[in-house]
Amino acid sequence: MYALQRWWERYGIQSVLVGVALGTALFVRQTQGGVLLETYQLLTRPFHGKPTQQDRLINAQTQELQQRLIELESRNQRLEELLGFVSAKKVKGVTAPVIGRSADHWWQQVILGRGSQDGIRVGSIVLSPGGLVGRVSSVTSDASQVLLLSDPSSRVGVTISRSRYMGFMRGKSANRAVMEFFEKVPDVRRGDVVSTSPFSQLFPAGIPIGRIESVDLNKSPAPEAIIELSAPINYLEWATVYPNSANLGDPQLTAPSAPIPASAPSPEATP
Amino acid sequence: MKTSALDDLFDRHPISRPFVSWGVTVISVLLCLMVLPTRLPGMELAGIGPNWLLIWVVAWSVKRTMFQGAMAGLILGLLQDGMTSPFPTHAVSLVLVGVLTARLQKQRYIEEDFISVALIVFGMAVLAETVTAIQFSLQGGRSLVEIWTYHQFIALSSAILSSLWAPIVYFPLNRWWERMGLVDSV
Repeated sequence: MYALQRWWERYGIQSVLVGVALGTALFVRQTQGGVLLETYQLLTRPFHGKPTQQDRLINAQTQELQQRLIELESRNQRLEELLGFVSAKKVKGVTAPVIGRSADHWWQQVILGRGSQDGIRVGSIVLSPGGLVGRVSSVTSDASQVLLLSDPSSRVGVTISRSRYMGFMRGKSANRAVMEFFEKVPDVRRGDVVSTSPFSQLFPAGIPIGRIESVDLNKSPAPEAIIELSAPINYLEWATVYPNSANLGDPQLTAPSAPIPASAPSPEATP
Repeated sequence: MKTSALDDLFDRHPISRPFVSWGVTVISVLLCLMVLPTRLPGMELAGIGPNWLLIWVVAWSVKRTMFQGAMAGLILGLLQDGMTSPFPTHAVSLVLVGVLTARLQKQRYIEEDFISVALIVFGMAVLAETVTAIQFSLQGGRSLVEIWTYHQFIALSSAILSSLWAPIVYFPLNRWWERMGLVDSV
């Protein structure tokens, strides 16, 4: 008993301190750094940029519009063959400043300065002028963390807009990604536009991603191509967050759909 | 003067001493955590910044026992997990860094100056990235070729940047711990 008391006098405070520190660290880890993320957002608030650097983004935006056009043209061609009811709805996005990058070197992430208070949820889609950027992986009330497309762990189903050949894409750091095709001999060449495919579970179909930079058809087990991402991921300052819904394919270009007359027969009603 | 005001406070309220000395230590960890996601101009090399937590662990462990180094590494590693992604954990590499730095017993072999601290940080940064690369290799999911090509790139950039910025963390903290008597004579 006396020995215990003496040990406590000598090491008591130290062990309590270590225990408290360990407990805090574990808590932070379990809550995925929610407290830290919020503090970071608060501390960096005076340094958040204002949307004034439009000039730099105009170039990327023109590129995005061109890619959207190609995507729409080839999709339109297919839709003309099919007769069906297509609803086009304008989806409103949340514009958020990029306030930080990944806290280590192995993950390609950014931190956005808007959170669940502005309607951002885990799984929301993040776009920027230029195309798809990534997906929200965790969110607190005023900040959210985005896993970028360029992270090796993010995989997306993609398609070549011109020839509709499918494949999947995984990130390769910086602003490059590798696309693996499902077919053995895909119709693909340098400069082709790549967008998300209808098979993608995490992203809506038809969002522009980038261009094919080089093709390696002899690669086994499947042919591969290097994609140059069109969104300026390395100097991203602003991004727009959309809820993950199927009719997001072209959020800016779709016109509000004309109201359907009540007397018109709906597709379900026809025998 | 500021220092005498602090001494005055400790004389009048001895209980405040541990609170102030540990408070400054905790705040320095928080500052390191808050700087991690930023990429300030001059602090980044091809999108990679210094590993501030690693510098902190080295600064802590240089004059301490291996157990204390390991504890600091574990706690800061868990905190970094919270900031990024918990798998694979950062605790393994930082614990190793803490233990090895304490094991070096710098004061016995090398004179204390910022060159030697920078050298230790350089070596430890390469080691930490290597441990993480091994963890990623064992975990699977990413291709081995990509992991190790990327490892070469970030180990070098991170080591150079961390060692250049190490004195900024090391000197103030070391002065503080010496003044507060928090550094044990090993």
